[in-house]
Amino acid sequence: MSHSTFRRFVFAYGAAFALFYAIAHARGLPLFTVYPAQGIVLPGLHRSRDVADPVLDFLAPEMYWYGWTASAAISALVAGLLAALLPARLSWVWAWCVALVPPLAMIACAYLTVPWFRL
Amino acid sequence: MATIFLILHGLVTVALLGAITHQALATCVPPKAKPYSFFARFRAVRGAGFTNAIVVLYVIAWLLGAAVYLYFKVDVQPNLERDHHWHALGFFDLKEDFTAIGLGVLPAYWSCWRQPVDGRSHQIRIVLTLLLAFAVWWAFLVGHVMNDIGGFGS
Repeated sequence: MSHSTFRRFVFAYGAAFALFYAIAHARGLPLFTVYPAQGIVLPGLHRSRDVADPVLDFLAPEMYWYGWTASAAISALVAGLLAALLPARLSWVWAWCVALVPPLAMIACAYLTVPWFRL
Repeated sequence: MATIFLILHGLVTVALLGAITHQALATCVPPKAKPYSFFARFRAVRGAGFTNAIVVLYVIAWLLGAAVYLYFKVDVQPNLERDHHWHALGFFDLKEDFTAIGLGVLPAYWSCWRQPVDGRSHQIRIVLTLLLAFAVWWAFLVGHVMNDIGGFGS
């Protein structure tokens, strides 16, 4: 892999990771759900309140963050490989993307946490 | 085990905080400070020399944080919810998000610092360095506050 190809890959990976992380967070698309109290990992999105009384939710808290990160990492890997295959003259596109998309994704994530501040 | 992980996580983060702050200031702040002043010495480092250390420390801090988070979710978060610390939980959610996005841009950041700079590379280098610095500072401060509110052993 040449240096230019590697650079296209990592720039596209960084931008795509941030984008897909924000999408996975917003749309509820974790690759898996972790139940730390039970030590269980289930593929996809699972909510304990869907199968048990919401009052008992605290007994089986679910965690999506690992799943969102895994979803974003895999999606970004595909995007990075595609970018590496594209012509080198498009390098500037990935450079701009990696400078702009992650800060915008952080703002999007901040927007998604607004409900915490309305409680 | 959770306490050991948390202490290690804190120690690694302090080292990371120092390295990223040095690099961010060396990159972004023009060298106008009085020579031999504390600020001038603080920013007068060779930024590229911190890159590998920052990448390694970030990954270790992230992994330790991911391990501690399992204990947090079971042992600490229910107490914070019971006591209605909704704002703190919101800030902690943002810590999760910012550190994950920081992890994703880490390869691009490393690549930027490995290259000799031209105009555009320098701008991207500044953006990514500031982004990482912001994520690390946010994570450190929020983690510290969360520990003060209802940390392990409380």
